[in-house]
Amino acid sequence: MGSSAAHQLKQLKPLYQHVVNNFVAVLAAPLAVAAVVNAARVGPDELLGRLQALRAVHVFLAVFVAAAAATLYVMLRPRSVYLVDYACFRTRPNCRVPFATFLEHAKLVTFVEGASIDERSVRFMTRLLERSGLGEETCLPPAHHYIPPYRNMEASRAEVELVIFSAIDDLLAKTGISPNAIDILVVNCSLFAPIPSFTDMIIHRYGMRPDIRNVHLSGMGCSAGLISVGLAKNFLQVAPKGAHALVVSTETITPNYYVGKERAMLLPNCLFRMGGAAVLLSTSRARARFRLARVVRTLTGAQDSAYRCVFQEEDGEGHRGINLSKDLMTIAGDALKANITAIGPLVLPASEQLLFALSFIARRVVNRHVKPYLPDFRTAFEHFCIHAGGRAVIDELQRSLGLSDQDVEASRMALHRFGNTSSSSVWYELAYIEAKGRMRRGDRVWMIGFGSGFKCNSAAWECIAPARTAEGPWAESISRYPVDIPEVLKH
Amino acid sequence: MVFEQEQEEVAPGAVHGHRLSTVVPSSVTGEVDYALADADLAFKLHYLRGVYYYPPGEVARGLATKVLKDPMFPWLDDYFPVAGRVRRAEQEAAGGEGDAGAPRRPYIKCNDCGVRIVEAKCDRDMDEWLRDDAPDRLRQLCYDKVLGPELFFSPLLYVQITNFKCGGLALGFSWAHLIGDVPSAVTCFNKWAQILSGKKPEDTVLTPLNKPVQGQSPAGVTAPRSVKQVGPIEDHWLVSAGRDMACYSFHVSDAVLKKLQQQQKGRHDAAAGTFELVSALAWQTVAKIRGGDVDTVTVVRTGAAARSGKSLANEMTVGYVASAGSSPAKTDVAELAALLAKNVVDETAAVAAFQGDVLVYGGANLTLMDMEQVNVYALEIKGLRPVHVEYGMDGVGEEGAVLVQPDADGRGRLVTAVLPRDEIDSLRAALGTALQVA
Repeated sequence: MGSSAAHQLKQLKPLYQHVVNNFVAVLAAPLAVAAVVNAARVGPDELLGRLQALRAVHVFLAVFVAAAAATLYVMLRPRSVYLVDYACFRTRPNCRVPFATFLEHAKLVTFVEGASIDERSVRFMTRLLERSGLGEETCLPPAHHYIPPYRNMEASRAEVELVIFSAIDDLLAKTGISPNAIDILVVNCSLFAPIPSFTDMIIHRYGMRPDIRNVHLSGMGCSAGLISVGLAKNFLQVAPKGAHALVVSTETITPNYYVGKERAMLLPNCLFRMGGAAVLLSTSRARARFRLARVVRTLTGAQDSAYRCVFQEEDGEGHRGINLSKDLMTIAGDALKANITAIGPLVLPASEQLLFALSFIARRVVNRHVKPYLPDFRTAFEHFCIHAGGRAVIDELQRSLGLSDQDVEASRMALHRFGNTSSSSVWYELAYIEAKGRMRRGDRVWMIGFGSGFKCNSAAWECIAPARTAEGPWAESISRYPVDIPEVLKH
Repeated sequence: MVFEQEQEEVAPGAVHGHRLSTVVPSSVTGEVDYALADADLAFKLHYLRGVYYYPPGEVARGLATKVLKDPMFPWLDDYFPVAGRVRRAEQEAAGGEGDAGAPRRPYIKCNDCGVRIVEAKCDRDMDEWLRDDAPDRLRQLCYDKVLGPELFFSPLLYVQITNFKCGGLALGFSWAHLIGDVPSAVTCFNKWAQILSGKKPEDTVLTPLNKPVQGQSPAGVTAPRSVKQVGPIEDHWLVSAGRDMACYSFHVSDAVLKKLQQQQKGRHDAAAGTFELVSALAWQTVAKIRGGDVDTVTVVRTGAAARSGKSLANEMTVGYVASAGSSPAKTDVAELAALLAKNVVDETAAVAAFQGDVLVYGGANLTLMDMEQVNVYALEIKGLRPVHVEYGMDGVGEEGAVLVQPDADGRGRLVTAVLPRDEIDSLRAALGTALQVA
């Protein structure tokens, strides 16, 4: 074999894909031709005679059964869910936190009774920040600009109101919908669950209907945004036709500043930043911009290591924080594999699935050392929105999925500009792709979220109409992107 | 939870409830360094403390902290060196044996670290506070920190917002003299107020870049007479005077000024302006309470010569005057004023070129500082003019300093004396007679 052979194979690949993907047509065409040829040979008179010989009952039954089957199929098919529009929280310059300020604050908090961040922790955080892939424009809530930061309920509520009310205001303005036309309200925020809940806050502020179906999902981790979309989709199946569902994804940073010195628990302080998104879903196609093709949820929490991977607990000194285990990357990789196995058959074209099946068989039957075929997800999707959990997560996913730098550009740039905004990061990345003008009608988008549990959730969208305006969280900064992010940003 | 010491007993009437936060420039500055001029480094041990008092009323009530903070973000975009931190240049690797022991030259790393904001309360009425005339009240209304001991983490500017019980507001600025002189500082603050009021301020000029002066005076030379050599200073940029220093402000009214001007009418060398007259009065008073021995004074003035136009610079002239022969305690104010007008020996260049660490204010001699031309009352917040402004200084040496400022209506003068605390009472008594009009 040689490179010329491999090159020939590559050239044959498109032909192969065409044949396999349109297999039914490829098979049906010669059969149809044969039938026509046969009928022609038999002659029209002969055909008419055969038809009249059929009994009326049989004909009626055949037609009835076919019609009944078709109707049943149409009725039992799940309703299509569409995304009318979405809006992300637009960060303000007065919430900006440069690296130097973050580190200075961490250092000064050491003097506060009750905090035990020490010199070593500050140096560790410096190294983390330098390698994190975050930029100098990420934002923290106003309460965290104080020394020491406020972590009380009033400040937390203030942050929530700032983020979600402005995102919802933007969304209502974009879609022109009135708050009392919303039938379903799903909010997810992992680390802050006050009474009354976020949904009650929203209903109170916007004067929504008394019969609205509202759910607040808390503790579900960074992939909860896609879980909320899945839940809203299910609600929409039983709601009246044309109902609207508002999904709000956010994470509240204010109450969660970790003041201890456990290294595994300092990472969230450095990476998590303010952000939120509001999304309007509906079963009505009017004014819709995307169609929700699939939501696939995978959980690996049955295994101990996955369960303890991202764990909120108190450290040895009693300070509460989120402990990230050392094998986070391995577990994320495993969860991703599980998710791909589930979503692959649903979205990949037949050609890729066949190749994967063949390679699978080859590994089992022929030779253990045949390399497993990595399905090329770029045949299924044009755009990828990978949760910007951190530089390592994005690198790992790029490697596992065999994606190019341009495919993961949205994730890297969202991490740089906004930091890890938890469940809303996939929406910031979608906003990036649209702000760059790369979204076309018919493009398919894959959103992947990871979170504690350990969960890996996917949503597949198909674009119906790209964004109509340039408004959004990237409006002022998009001209500066993409930026080249160095391995280490020295300070 | 606000981490103030709620459990502690707060002295009645003291300023309490300090909450610190930080304000940064609204856009990314990038990898920029701001070089410090030699003149800047000469003043590095001094800190301006300026307080602006705003009366209670509708406007003051509407000045929530957020309203005051929001304009600071774009303001710091223009003044990004003020949001930076002091660093020392890397040791020169090659290039001969540049003294291994010589301290590396400081510069400002413009890393957007920000300016510290302090919010505090006082349970007294502002009128009462002002009437009390307590010495060193400035220290309560300006956060009294200096650069160091951790230079890396020391802000160059603190802004304290104190709310009085009556609704009045005091703004206290603590400015490191290193980054700019009084006119630079006041222009900087005024620009913030302009942004707050919705006006667009003039552009900030930060070029040409500072360069070390050619022809440095060689090491081993004695310091110029105007200043005192100290140090060497490591990372804590404050020379603690052996005695506790305090600021005390007093008003020199229009009438007193007229009397002083009358006194010099008869002289043939009547060239003294208000600064010379007022500071001569202060010189004489301090000489009296010290029983003589204030023969030389250092004079720092906003140069009559045009400033370069840079928004951040230390361009005040520094010089000294020696009283010829007789003790200033016994000399006429008019005569001292004449000396100040004519016989100042300018040492600005020598001070800048001098290589060691120096104390300009209160170092070698009592220092008289001319702030008359500085428009402090222009810091109007939403049209609200301050009722009173006083500027003092920290890091002043034992000899003391006297700052002559414009007063609220522009006709009299406000004088702030920075002296050892135990001299303040004597000063008050001596002034009682000196400021009588009759």
